[in-house]
Amino acid sequence: MTELLFPTTVEEAVALLAAHEDARPIAGGATLVAMRNAGLVESTHLVSLDRIAGLAGIVRLEDGRIRIGAMTKHAETASCEMLSGSLEVLRKAAGMIANRVVRNMGTMGGSVANADPAADYLPALACCDAVLTIAGPGGTREVSILDYVEDWYETALGEGEIITAFTLPAPYAAASSYRKIARVSGDFATASCAMALEADGQGVRVAIGACGPGPIRDPEAEAALCGHLGDPEAVATFAKALADQADPVDDVRGSAEYRLQLIPRLISGVLNDISKETV
Amino acid sequence: MSLDQPNPSFTGGAVGKSVPKVDSLEKVQGRAEYIADLYRPGMLHGAILASPYPHARILGYDLTEALAAPGVVAIITGDDVGEGRMGAFIKDEHAIAKGKVLYVGEPVAAVAARTETEARAACRLIRVDYEELPAILSPEEGLEEGAAILHEKLADYIKVFDAGSEGNLCSRTELSEGNVDGAWAGCDVIVEGEYTTQPQAHVSMEPCGALAEVDANGRVTLWSANQSVFRVQANVCESLSLPMSKLRSLTPRVGAGFGNKMEPHIQPITVALAMKAQRPVKLILTREEDFEMVRARHPFKVRMKTGAKKDGTLVARHCEVLVDCGAFADDSPGVMGYALLMCGGPYRFPHMKAEGRLVYTNKLRFGAFRGFGNPQVLFAGEQQIDQIAERIGMDPFAIRRKNMVREGDRWFVGPEIASNGLAGCLDAVEQAAKLPRADGSARNFGLAVTAHISGLLGTGAIVKMLEDGTISLNTGATDIGQGSDTVLAQICAEELKLPFDQVAVASPDTDGSPYNWGTTASRVTYTTGRAVKAAAKKVVDQAMEQAAEMLDCDVDELELREGGRIGKVGSNSDVTFAQISGRAHWAVGGPLVGSETLVFDQPTHDPKRAIALGLPFPRIGVFSFAALGVDVDIDEVSGQVSVREAWSAADVGRAINPKLVEVQLHGGFVQGLGYSLFEEMVWDGPRLANPSLMDYKVPTMRDVPDAIHTYIIEDPDPTGPFGAKGAGEIGLNAAPGALANAVAQATGFRHNHLPLTGERVLNGMLAAEKT
Amino acid sequence: MAKKMLHSLTLNGEEVEVASAPEATLLETLREDLRVLSSKRGCNQGVCGACTVIIDGKPVRSCLTLTARCEGHDVRTVEGLSDDRILNALQKHMVEAGGVQCGFCTGGMLMSARNLLAEVPRPSRDAVKSALSGNICRCTGYRTIVDAVCGAAEELAQ
Repeated sequence: MTELLFPTTVEEAVALLAAHEDARPIAGGATLVAMRNAGLVESTHLVSLDRIAGLAGIVRLEDGRIRIGAMTKHAETASCEMLSGSLEVLRKAAGMIANRVVRNMGTMGGSVANADPAADYLPALACCDAVLTIAGPGGTREVSILDYVEDWYETALGEGEIITAFTLPAPYAAASSYRKIARVSGDFATASCAMALEADGQGVRVAIGACGPGPIRDPEAEAALCGHLGDPEAVATFAKALADQADPVDDVRGSAEYRLQLIPRLISGVLNDISKETV
Repeated sequence: MSLDQPNPSFTGGAVGKSVPKVDSLEKVQGRAEYIADLYRPGMLHGAILASPYPHARILGYDLTEALAAPGVVAIITGDDVGEGRMGAFIKDEHAIAKGKVLYVGEPVAAVAARTETEARAACRLIRVDYEELPAILSPEEGLEEGAAILHEKLADYIKVFDAGSEGNLCSRTELSEGNVDGAWAGCDVIVEGEYTTQPQAHVSMEPCGALAEVDANGRVTLWSANQSVFRVQANVCESLSLPMSKLRSLTPRVGAGFGNKMEPHIQPITVALAMKAQRPVKLILTREEDFEMVRARHPFKVRMKTGAKKDGTLVARHCEVLVDCGAFADDSPGVMGYALLMCGGPYRFPHMKAEGRLVYTNKLRFGAFRGFGNPQVLFAGEQQIDQIAERIGMDPFAIRRKNMVREGDRWFVGPEIASNGLAGCLDAVEQAAKLPRADGSARNFGLAVTAHISGLLGTGAIVKMLEDGTISLNTGATDIGQGSDTVLAQICAEELKLPFDQVAVASPDTDGSPYNWGTTASRVTYTTGRAVKAAAKKVVDQAMEQAAEMLDCDVDELELREGGRIGKVGSNSDVTFAQISGRAHWAVGGPLVGSETLVFDQPTHDPKRAIALGLPFPRIGVFSFAALGVDVDIDEVSGQVSVREAWSAADVGRAINPKLVEVQLHGGFVQGLGYSLFEEMVWDGPRLANPSLMDYKVPTMRDVPDAIHTYIIEDPDPTGPFGAKGAGEIGLNAAPGALANAVAQATGFRHNHLPLTGERVLNGMLAAEKT
Repeated sequence: MAKKMLHSLTLNGEEVEVASAPEATLLETLREDLRVLSSKRGCNQGVCGACTVIIDGKPVRSCLTLTARCEGHDVRTVEGLSDDRILNALQKHMVEAGGVQCGFCTGGMLMSARNLLAEVPRPSRDAVKSALSGNICRCTGYRTIVDAVCGAAEELAQ
């Protein structure tokens, strides 16, 4: 028998999670309710985050950074004009999650807390250098998205902690894009790639999704690739560096081997997409 | 438009018109009732405990805790169901696992409780003692010396044909005509290959379910999602050892079938629960259970060899199939037999041999699925036709035209082909597909052709003229959404020259409807339509006799006029159906009722032409034909195939309702697209790894081309109602062959394994680049 | 019996109070407690779309929505939109274009389509396919459904 609790502040939510041993937070419900329906989760208390003021919505901070509340629905992220230039990749990724109806339900906080390696936000946020704000019994702390996923479905979120927001660096002039390979429209990724290229062709950021427990990024390799984007050999070297860090699995969406094949192909493909877009 | 009004009247000539389906208004208003929407007073909810093991002996049950759980009223296990066994071809299946479990997901026990939640909770409290047995997970393992045996008493089971069962061999079939072994020497070109196809899930949007209730006399009323109320009745009664008169089988609206709901699913369990609980019980499967418990399309291993002359004349084909049956025979012997019958494709092969073995394994039963074995063998056969054409430098249309069967020919082993519009199908596809793409780029084109048989077994119709001259039609055929109620009403209205909306179609009911084997085998329009037309004719004849007396003339002076009137030829004087029927009901002759029953009775096998061993269809049906062209794009990054455009042309005899034929072609193609490109049930050892719509993917609106062009070619069959033949399966059959041919053209690599996933196609592209 | 909670929400324009288990989904509440049956349980995972309803003007999955979270919200199903001009046009065109086969997906499909036409009066065929891609139909092959939605849009624009 599950009890549903409706805190109205983050502090109250954190206190409720601490008060009940197997309590779970519930954000949009798109994943948790599906898992409950399948009999995969049972908990005595669900702490609903939907009545906490200020957890949803996207704002530009005074210093130009963008803050996305954890309860912001995919549909809002997918249509947010503030996510431009270097951050457009996040808007594009949000628009590819599942389908229009589910995007009215699912939230960024819920998706990232669940940390499905094949979900779309992780690589897109990694590409944006997002910082997560996490609230818990010990107060509030910030974690880089690159440090967030620790293992398969294991994250930096501790006991009784919830994600409250995502902060993104101020967008700058860049072309950014997201591509996923999936069996059908709206499926989780077999493999995906998020990329942002600075307008001058210098800065490049690339994150690969669904090829390991968390998104794969390599700032050192990115630095080496800068200025050599037109050189197929340099791109191949870069792709190999990322593929070397991959730890893909065989599953119903594709084999580990296929995922490794896809990494360089996706990188070239997205580079191609971006150059077509910017022509 | 006011939605409360009935459909507009279509007077005169109901046949050939795209009348909206009679059930569409209630469906768009959310008022159609499906099995899950039915509630009865005092009704309980059922839930099933599934086997965790692929193969194990059941040593005992402990129900104590479950019986004490909140809301629980009754529990059944194999101990409650007696020795009865059911099965369409081989009676090998109890209502619920008894003595042994044979696949992961097989029902082992079932609970009736106040709510579904309570029933499911109680299932988890049932303790079953198992002794695990070695699992057979492939046909090859099943045939090995010393393999664990699934059905120890196979020899004693009732079989309706010469199955040749032995060990784990469920059945074998061998068909041959001409002299294949001697023919290869005369061939200029020979292609051969081994092919595999994967299991596909039906994914009817409505999961299976049933509701049963027992009356004061112990008679059972059973509603269920089904494709035949009569097969439900037979299966429940065989498995529970009930006289058939003790069970009435009914149907609400059915949320599609595609073969999944033709033979039993959980109807016997639901009836057993209701009998034990002595309360109505409704049992609705979850999507996951529907995947794991019911049935799926057979995986095939096909070895095929085809030989031809250098002018393109086909000479010989040899096809061997090894078919995974799953744990129970179900429709498998029929699927394999049919696949072998069809494996030559619609071509004149002077020499043909087809052999198959069907092997029990510890997986869920494989069974009927739109296409019924035909897509699997065509995947091989239609690629080999293209390969021969490539080798001799012939066009794919030309080689097919040169070799296609003609009207009056005999099909492999003997059935007569009385109508054949394949040439028209090829013309339609070729004319449309030879136009270049809108952007001028070259097409990646693939072609395949197919035949399919509509017919089989018993069917009937009762046409009653009501007192006011309107009509009640009762056939017992379940409309699973494809529109048979509408099409049969059109046939009836046409024969009676009545407006279509004056024919009401009765819901199937084993108490009141004439026998109908089922909504399967593309058969309802053809077979049931014949019965409807003949029964309506009998009503016309009776009305004519009445009218002759009323108008004081001979019957042969009379004519049937539009709108329900009979009059004297050359005169204005006439009488209406209302006048005739009123007289018949209240004064003279008795109410007008026409009934007709028939069974398709032309023999399949002509022993003078061919040898046939273990052929499960002694009588079968008439031939429809189709050609399918596809133009595909291959994603450079992933290798994924997408269909840019498709051309589907089908000879369905006369199209009674062209729109409904078109939708069959659209829907069949898209289900075939999913099958060909990505749908696959994957087993992780003995357990299905993707029994959910999260993990098993079917095409969404964005995965299908907008441009699916359909062409209805009408080559009427002399025996069909107004010339009609079947249309239900033919749109799917050719999809894997056509798509494989298009992928081969696009990438230079031929694929022998379905589905044509991005991974496979990419590796094919890379291999082709290397050579 | 599980402890039930009383929830009040607006269902098809009427205030209703319903007692349901605290973690009950809206789909369970609609079907088992309120007998509003047009929303179907096709997968109970939010994938198939047969349970789609409109809450506060937006289509959502009723199988993934907890009833308790609908407190004070406006829930609409096919039954409750019988006087809705957009829905009526869609219904008419679904019937005429042959967009209805088995009908199990139809209620949810109409909810997604109704929301699309309310937000985008003249969508392209691609926009229709994109908006409705979360509603699976296994019968029609989708072509006639897209025809119906575009046909309804055209009629409404006149």
